[in-house]
Amino acid sequence: MADMKKIQEILMNSIFDVYEKMFFVFLEPMDDAVKYDMAASIRFSGVFNGEIRAYLNTDMARSMVENMLGLEPPEISVKQMEDCAKESINMICGSFLERLSPQAVFDLSVPEGELKSGVFKKDDPGTLNLAFDSDGQLLGITLSIKSSK
Amino acid sequence: MSFNVLVVDDSMSMRAVIKKIITLSGFQMDKCLEASNGRQGLELLADNWVDVILSDINMPEMNGLQFLEELAKNETLREIPVIMITTEGSGERMEEAFKRGAKGFIKKPFLPEQIRKVLYDVIGVGENGRYEEDPRNTDELDF
Repeated sequence: MADMKKIQEILMNSIFDVYEKMFFVFLEPMDDAVKYDMAASIRFSGVFNGEIRAYLNTDMARSMVENMLGLEPPEISVKQMEDCAKESINMICGSFLERLSPQAVFDLSVPEGELKSGVFKKDDPGTLNLAFDSDGQLLGITLSIKSSK
Repeated sequence: MSFNVLVVDDSMSMRAVIKKIITLSGFQMDKCLEASNGRQGLELLADNWVDVILSDINMPEMNGLQFLEELAKNETLREIPVIMITTEGSGERMEEAFKRGAKGFIKKPFLPEQIRKVLYDVIGVGENGRYEEDPRNTDELDF
């Protein structure tokens, strides 16, 4: 498996690709903590196992729905925001694994979403943590690779 | 000539965006049915005829590969072309889908023109609804 620097680069490229192509959101990496209002996660298993989690503030989730579905803010529901958060993590995971191990087959779990608030910090030593900003729309991503065969 | 389409994906946002892309691409769609997994897709197909199916793989209850298997068991339904739209894009997973009867494959995240190209390739029609030899004469779409 690639070293952590390479893994981080691959993960970042996957995140940029998904957010730009599907949600028309252009992210800037940042070091600040992310105050989030919802989270989404997906697990994967194969030649190695792990989990990717996303932490989004409401502004980010609303913007994703607005851009993807062409809806105006008053029409946007929490359910749609949660659905977009789950689908984004699904696409990031698939894209990341394909770039990291193109020949390997992984099983992905069905993404799960959760409405909860908190603060995402980049200093958790057990996971690879990335934070992004797009005009106040905030996103935090963690990758944990739990075991390898 | 217009077509009936079935979109199978557990994400309502993804179903909506696929439907929107198909509509905006000029594809002559009569009816667009939606299902959130393979089981629901089969239930809809019991009462409705569609000309093409676009299906995700990673879904709860009945995933896209199981859905393909069930379609293949039915003499009528196995004739409907199925395009997989999925995040799971490894060569082996694609091969698995094609072996089970898929006719096209689109990886998420996708660009609108990718859906249009594969859709036209699989169903064999151009924007005017006529069957064409090679429909790859598409310009970039601006959404």
